[in-house]
Amino acid sequence: MIKENRKILVCCGTGCLANNSYDVYTQFLEKLKNTNIEVIPQVKATGCNGLCEKGPVVKILPDEISYFKVKAKDVDEIVLKTILKGEIIDRLLYFDLNDKKRIVSHKDANFYKHQHKIALRNIGEIDPKDIDDYKKRDGYKALHKALFEMTPDEVISQIEDSHLRGRGGAGFPTGNKWRTCSNYNNNPKYVVCNGDEGDPGAFMDRSIMEGDPNTVIEGMIICGYAINSNNGFLYIRDEYQLARKNMQIAIDSAKEHGFLGKNILGSGFDFELEIVRGGGAFVCGESSALMASIEGNVGEPRAKYIRSVEKGLWDKPTVLNNVETWANIPPIIINGAEWFKEIGTAKNSGTKVFSLVGKVKNTGLVEIPMGTTLRELVFDIGGGIIKNRPFKAVQTGGPSGGCIPAEHLDISLDFDSLGNIGSMMGSGGVIVLDDTTCMVDLARYYMEFLSEESCGKCTTCREGINTMLNILNNIILGKGKLEDIELLESLSETIREASLCGLGKTAPNPVMTTLKYFKNEYMDHIINKKCPAGVCKNLTSYSIDKEECIGCGACAKKCPTSAIIGEPKKPHIIEQDKCIKCGSCFSVCPTGAVKIGGALIESYNK
Amino acid sequence: MKVIINSKEYQGLPGETLMELAKRNNVDIPNLCHKDGIEGQGRCRLCMVEVREGKKTKIVSSCVYPIRDGLEVVTNSEKIIAIRKNIILLLLLKTPNNDYIKSLAEEYGVKAPDRYVDYKVKENCILCGLCVKACEKMGTSAISLINRGTTKKVSTPYDDPSKDCIGCGACAEVCPTNAITMTDKNRIRTIWNKEFKLVKCSVCGKTFTTDEALQFIESKLGKKEERICDSCRKKIISEKFKESFKYF
Repeated sequence: MIKENRKILVCCGTGCLANNSYDVYTQFLEKLKNTNIEVIPQVKATGCNGLCEKGPVVKILPDEISYFKVKAKDVDEIVLKTILKGEIIDRLLYFDLNDKKRIVSHKDANFYKHQHKIALRNIGEIDPKDIDDYKKRDGYKALHKALFEMTPDEVISQIEDSHLRGRGGAGFPTGNKWRTCSNYNNNPKYVVCNGDEGDPGAFMDRSIMEGDPNTVIEGMIICGYAINSNNGFLYIRDEYQLARKNMQIAIDSAKEHGFLGKNILGSGFDFELEIVRGGGAFVCGESSALMASIEGNVGEPRAKYIRSVEKGLWDKPTVLNNVETWANIPPIIINGAEWFKEIGTAKNSGTKVFSLVGKVKNTGLVEIPMGTTLRELVFDIGGGIIKNRPFKAVQTGGPSGGCIPAEHLDISLDFDSLGNIGSMMGSGGVIVLDDTTCMVDLARYYMEFLSEESCGKCTTCREGINTMLNILNNIILGKGKLEDIELLESLSETIREASLCGLGKTAPNPVMTTLKYFKNEYMDHIINKKCPAGVCKNLTSYSIDKEECIGCGACAKKCPTSAIIGEPKKPHIIEQDKCIKCGSCFSVCPTGAVKIGGALIESYNK
Repeated sequence: MKVIINSKEYQGLPGETLMELAKRNNVDIPNLCHKDGIEGQGRCRLCMVEVREGKKTKIVSSCVYPIRDGLEVVTNSEKIIAIRKNIILLLLLKTPNNDYIKSLAEEYGVKAPDRYVDYKVKENCILCGLCVKACEKMGTSAISLINRGTTKKVSTPYDDPSKDCIGCGACAEVCPTNAITMTDKNRIRTIWNKEFKLVKCSVCGKTFTTDEALQFIESKLGKKEERICDSCRKKIISEKFKESFKYF
């Protein structure tokens, strides 16, 4: 049973590469070369498929068979059984933990079923290094249409009508930005792509740049044509080596094919594109710091009372959009604004890519229509919380976003709804938290991140975040006082109002939202000297409930300091002076007899 | 251009920032990182004021805010005072022993909570960046702001004695908190880990600047200058004036 046009797509995104997917890829090439087969299937190394947790991912087309966690040693079996005989190898299929069944095509898996791919449309389907793959999937058709069938003004109107909003975080209408910039005649103008994705746990831009670099390039050329600019810069985070490599290959092949450079496709329009390596600082994702960095200066933001569409790069009018925004441009030009507006909600059209991580069963990249609820994202697509523990909150928008508690699980995921409850869309990071996460510790973690990543230019951000971090450290050590809450609130307000750039202005969000939704946890830490999640070691003690303990001894075996004693089948006891509060007993206990308590103040006082 | 500050109308000049307009009209807006002749930096954030735009008010830093016709500004609202107090508090926590910051805290009635102050801290720099700007204006650019976040500081490259530093002392002169140590002793000036030979005034005999600074000026001017200190130079010029006006 041999099929024509068979394709084997091996995911070679960063996540899968780390799990040796390149070996799987080369193994396929090797094995097929030495196999007696009439039509050798095409083997392609593609970009990220999204479900990184279950990588390396191998897809076989047109059979629509998807294998997960494939190792190089599985290749022989796949070729012998699936490719030659059309048999399905059960153990490599996706296993749905909730429905308790194996699924043949990834398209039927809950993780993929609810998704709607626009920005990620080609990723996982094409070889990012092969421009022909992109062209086969309508690549550069939008550029052709814009150059030969539309005036620059029509291009901008199309983007305006689509109500596309910047996917980088603030959600500024992209069409407005282009329109304002096109109205300035201070040439040369610049087109810039922000690829300095730095939020912990976010990797959507990286995946696009690695997996479908040409769509970003096409979007930027179209913008250049629309606003009359002939130069573009791709600012790519220093750590994103593969993204830079694939992007450079794409730029070079676009030039060879006449999509970049002088007189593009004979239209008379010129556009050059250059990659700039990021300065290695989180703050360089802020537009004015990014531009300072491209100019060769220290990556410090400036006051933006004059917008960068008027005075941006080298004080010239500049359009800066994020990677995901650029990836949305070609489909909008091809399919029209009306098509785009039908997806999503009225004020938030289209889709958004989220990176779903944390204590959720399916982690990875997800592209869903705007307006999808948080519940659908976490429970339908994400499959719910690991070990079915209680859902506590999600952290959206990265370090400058906020926490959303369970009471807001039905919130619509769009720019406005998230902003209304004190969080933000940000670039789309979603970190799921369960009951073992301490919200005070979480806020402290983000303050620590931001205090290290603050550029240090303005007082409020540099000193303010650091002071808030000191206060939170005190609370975690059990030295918190009630007036600390007041001080945290007052400093949050000042940092939000008086900081120079977006990083500073949003920095207090993790503290402000945890104070708003989880104030009782702060109170527990400060008044009761107890960390309810058992995370803050100074405010935690473990004890065994005599009634519930069955004396199985599992805890005693796990305990690294031999602090648990007891005879078999009789209740065990934790010797507090030996306990290092690692929580091993708590997680291993089959009956839930290990209880988390607060700091043992009485025993300290004795 | 008409600008209203605290209900009083002022005439603004094109291209002026709010701080420049306020200074020109003796309207007090506290600041630490602004000096005439150096463009606004927006670092210290002490100059935050409230501006009205249509129905909305927003908080802006006046040293970098370009004025527009009809702008309404409030420099002392409750909100602004609260922000100022917190900024002074933050600076006090950073430099608890600095006299200038202490006096500022006293003026605004700011007290730092004892448990968050480390009185052993000897830091005096509040990272206003004026020294770096002054050095840049001199044409030397020997010092710059390095690192980021709380590790940010002003220094020469790799903290080594800089070959570009001419020991002119402009950085120490503009520093609002006296954070830059410059000592003149036994005809030797020490600043930024580098020693300079001090030059004596050929008239009064007092030392007044460094040899390197004079050479730098001479190389810019393209001619030799007589080595006379500022006050003697002023005296000589005034004598010349007297001399020339004698005949009128």
